[in-house]
Amino acid sequence: MPKGQPSPDIAGAGLSAPPPFDELAIDANGAEVRRASEWLVAACRQRDVPPARVERLVLCLNEVLANVITHGGRRALVAPIRLRLEVGFDRDCRKASVTVSDAGLAFDPLSVPKKALPKSLAEASPGGLGLVVIRRCSDWLHYRHEDGRNHLTFGARWDLS
Amino acid sequence: MSITYSDVGENLRRIVISGRLDVPGTDAVAAQLVELTAAPKKSVVVDLSAVRFLASIGVRALITSAKAVQQRGGKMVLVVSDSSTVMLSLEATGVSELIPVFKSASDAERAAVA
Repeated sequence: MPKGQPSPDIAGAGLSAPPPFDELAIDANGAEVRRASEWLVAACRQRDVPPARVERLVLCLNEVLANVITHGGRRALVAPIRLRLEVGFDRDCRKASVTVSDAGLAFDPLSVPKKALPKSLAEASPGGLGLVVIRRCSDWLHYRHEDGRNHLTFGARWDLS
Repeated sequence: MSITYSDVGENLRRIVISGRLDVPGTDAVAAQLVELTAAPKKSVVVDLSAVRFLASIGVRALITSAKAVQQRGGKMVLVVSDSSTVMLSLEATGVSELIPVFKSASDAERAAVA
């Protein structure tokens, strides 16, 4: 089940405000990627993220985690991967952001030049598709390397109407 | 996760995959997919209508198989359900423009042998 940090009681009311985000820590393996997908679907549903946006976020999450596991090196495999979902407002829209934090080799996916889609099967390369999916299925990407960890955030926006 | 096949006449093989083609799911069927598409049948239909999720690792397996079929002069086509998220992955990677996609298995079979 998704869980967020406990938040203080609303003064005088004895009620707890909903946690501002959901978090999960997973190990770096394929079975855990599946668990992370299930967690994200459930957490997004609780926070009323539209199903079409959830599909894109889950796809991006799978690709980000697959890249960490495949290319992150030994440290990525032994330290937990932390996930955070935040749902909020962005001017007249709502937005959902997912941040993946891992202790693997520093890697900024935004530094990789965009790849043109192949025009024929002969031209198609089976590699590098994960990043293509992340770029095409997210409304924004943000990367920083801090405290020895990669922090990659991707997200989706949707109209309030 | 499952992968099954049936041969339809002399020239067509129909492969049906079900489940999630994420990292563990693709690991479970990729070798068998390569083996089944490497068989001497000229054309191949890969039916993904029971696949609920397709990550790029699964797309990669489809590209590898489609290339192998094309290199021996055949054609590989896909069947994808309207209601699945599989089409999202095929479109995001551009693969829906490279491997023909059909909603109906019978249309896919006709196109594969045409």
